[in-house]
Amino acid sequence: MKIKVVESVLKANDAVARENRKRLDAAGVLAINLMSAPGSGKTLLLEKTIPALAPRRCAVLVGDLQTTRDAERLGLVATQVTQINTGTGCHLTATQVAEGLDSLELEGMDYLFVENVGNMVCPAAFDLGEHRRVALLSVPEGDDKVAKYPTLFQPADAIVLTKVDLLGVLDYERKRVYEDVSRINTRAPLMELSAKTGQGLEHWLTWLRQQREALDPSRPPG
Amino acid sequence: MHEMSIAMALVDQLQRIAAEQHATRITEVEVRCGVLRQVMPEALELAFGAASADTPAAGAVLTVVEEGLRARCRACGQEFEAAIDNYLCPQCRMADVELLAGRDIVLQSVTCETEDRNQAS
Repeated sequence: MKIKVVESVLKANDAVARENRKRLDAAGVLAINLMSAPGSGKTLLLEKTIPALAPRRCAVLVGDLQTTRDAERLGLVATQVTQINTGTGCHLTATQVAEGLDSLELEGMDYLFVENVGNMVCPAAFDLGEHRRVALLSVPEGDDKVAKYPTLFQPADAIVLTKVDLLGVLDYERKRVYEDVSRINTRAPLMELSAKTGQGLEHWLTWLRQQREALDPSRPPG
Repeated sequence: MHEMSIAMALVDQLQRIAAEQHATRITEVEVRCGVLRQVMPEALELAFGAASADTPAAGAVLTVVEEGLRARCRACGQEFEAAIDNYLCPQCRMADVELLAGRDIVLQSVTCETEDRNQAS
């Protein structure tokens, strides 16, 4: 007997993602899903971002295959941090984020940063219930990352080029990144920054505050 | 290897369908994968084989059909076929699209044997 089904395979994930978004909306928390290759500087960017957003309060869910190292680093700056170890999983799922949300006190939080597992392919396929997706790429990774991993950058609400303090040190053609982005995603702002030197950080913080305000105009940006 | 998460979700779905249909065995499964999901059919087949062990779907033949990208330009409304690395609107040259097709993974059909053993297609 052949049965016509036509039902999304990721329906279960997407349903949990919708629930996550509802919980975050109800608590007035803006959730940002940060996705990039390992080592592109997601954790350092958050270490600099979170104190700069004060008095706004930030929680972090951080996904890694192993260790609690990122959570330990972020625990020094964020109000609440939960590490999610995925074991062999190369991306976070909506269910893991739902469990992460259970571990956090969302009331009184303004931002939730979800630092996804470092990977440029798999995380992009899974809605976690975030409000905004940010794709990062760092200068040492090379100037061809946007063209090589378009599925990460196409749905991004913002693209962040990190470690720009290394631009003078490495052979890097910034123009290639802009050209590739112009074919893949002209909606997302492309922000250049160095979390180490602070260069460009203000632009990123302004973007975050604007997204926060767009989510809940009753609470002005801090 | 996000194919494993997809295979596990698919097996959950098949187990539910098997229970609803009182199926003893699932023999064929057809899945439509949008190119944006970057599913490698061989990797999905391998993962499906592992995830379906000891379920009614064990041994089922999995067919993966690829679905191309169709986009609508948010700037001018033009609909066009996009490529995985090119979303430029042919009309206004912006790359800001709403995706109409190419992003979903959809279980299209299931062929199963039911308790009374009548198998047909």
